[in-house]
Amino acid sequence: MKLRFIALAALAAVAGFPLYWMLVTATRGQDELFGGDVHWLPDVTRLGQVFTAAVDGAPMLRWLTNSAFVAAGTTVLSLALAVLAAYALSRFSFRGRGVFGFALFATQMLPEALVVVPLYAIFLTLGLLNNLWGLVLGNTAFAMPVAVWIIKTAMDGVPREIEEAAALDGCSRYAMLRRIVLPLTAPSLAAAAVLAFFDSWNEFLLANTFMVDEEKWPASKGLASFVGEFVTPLPTVMSAAVLFTVPAVVFFLLVQRHIVAGLTAGAVKG
Amino acid sequence: MRAERLAPYVFASAAALYLLAFAAGPLLDGVWLSFTDTKLLDPTGGEWIGTDNYTDLFADSRFAGTLGVTLIYALSTVVGALLVGTFGAVLLDKAFRGRTALRALLTLPWAAPTVAVTLIFVWIFNNDNGVLNHASEAAGLGRHGWLTAYALATVTAVSVWKVFPFVLLVVLAALQSVPKDLVESARIDGAGPARVFRSVTWPFLVPTLRVVALLMTIWSFRRFEIIWLLTQGGPVDRTTTLVIDVYRQAFLDSDLGRSAATGAVGLVLSAIATVAYALTERHSTAKDLA
Repeated sequence: MKLRFIALAALAAVAGFPLYWMLVTATRGQDELFGGDVHWLPDVTRLGQVFTAAVDGAPMLRWLTNSAFVAAGTTVLSLALAVLAAYALSRFSFRGRGVFGFALFATQMLPEALVVVPLYAIFLTLGLLNNLWGLVLGNTAFAMPVAVWIIKTAMDGVPREIEEAAALDGCSRYAMLRRIVLPLTAPSLAAAAVLAFFDSWNEFLLANTFMVDEEKWPASKGLASFVGEFVTPLPTVMSAAVLFTVPAVVFFLLVQRHIVAGLTAGAVKG
Repeated sequence: MRAERLAPYVFASAAALYLLAFAAGPLLDGVWLSFTDTKLLDPTGGEWIGTDNYTDLFADSRFAGTLGVTLIYALSTVVGALLVGTFGAVLLDKAFRGRTALRALLTLPWAAPTVAVTLIFVWIFNNDNGVLNHASEAAGLGRHGWLTAYALATVTAVSVWKVFPFVLLVVLAALQSVPKDLVESARIDGAGPARVFRSVTWPFLVPTLRVVALLMTIWSFRRFEIIWLLTQGGPVDRTTTLVIDVYRQAFLDSDLGRSAATGAVGLVLSAIATVAYALTERHSTAKDLA
């Protein structure tokens, strides 16, 4: 019993330390960080300045707004496509079903780095480079298949008898999906939405490649632009990192239960 | 009735067309690029050169190194994440005060945005002022170039740190689906904790671990930003995985053909992992039935 707590405490310390250190670094002055001594605690008097430093020292609010736009757009588009596709996979046997299912899975294997060049060419033609909508479209290609997988698993658990009864009452397929199946699978929709949101909030490779204008960068690219750049003071950089991390972490903690349920529905059943 | 036959196609069409346009299309385009000499500055002006990119690639000794780094990185990340994640899940499988809070704390690495996390690690590993070298020096172990001398090990450790919570959450859910009465009756029959784990719990975990291992492997082959932002593939290619090479060849060397060929090799690796997974699953299902 003792050993369990020691092991857990050690694991928790390793898991939490880097995030704690981000906060500590954000509240310390440049001179303190490079002065040769280690300050183990955050300077609580400067906690309030974390926000102002990030906002004044970098276009962090602009970048966060862009990230939120991309993440929200990706979530809505992925879910709209995924709900319909999941319903087809869960309720019908049709020619091409196997190929479709495989194609959805195969996108998990696709290295973004391989698709990024062809996508670049397509977006160049469509005028979607340096455009936040381009990121929404690109991210959806990776977020939507995961959403289909999660939602289909949940739909498989809804008894068909309810729909058969509705069919007798002259209910259309689309109405059944909307009025019967969707309300019953709401938790899986939440899980899929959260994952899609997270993936696109964090996404870096497409953002880094497609977005040129600094005011159109999402926060992932904005933050990464500080790597190897020594002009912006480190506390400012870390303040920006804190500002980018806090919404994701808070959001995650709020919805954690749902994500876990959605994730495991697929993985545990295998 | 006819409407009912068409219905699945109507429902699936939007997603299918989408995948065709934004995943399958670009993928095929990428494969085609790998047989051309396309350059970044003239992305439509490439000419068909057959398998030259591939023969060049396999003749290049650097490529063997890249392949080796990719395999070592993927293998150690997968094994590390599975070990730490399963270990954590087993520790959390018992109800105790503060379990929910601890579980939340242990999943933070997964929730935090990768780019933000990588930035703080760069600072933690900083040679002169990083906290790790301060601590290591204070402990009498001296200073080390974490991102130079031990680059691959460090990059792997950061990756394990980032993804082990996923393993933990999924394995924890699997553990909690183990029927309690089965565990109970094994205990009554005199089985110790180790024996219960091996004979009762483990068989329930195996299918889950297999899926998680597959996902982890595929994700390791794909992972970009952790490595790119920590080391950019350096020093001297020691952390250059296939994906890093794909990016470098395309956007630094402007050689889209060669980059696509490298990417295709990465895709083949993922496909091999998937086939291996399918085979072991079929094998074990056959064993269960026998």
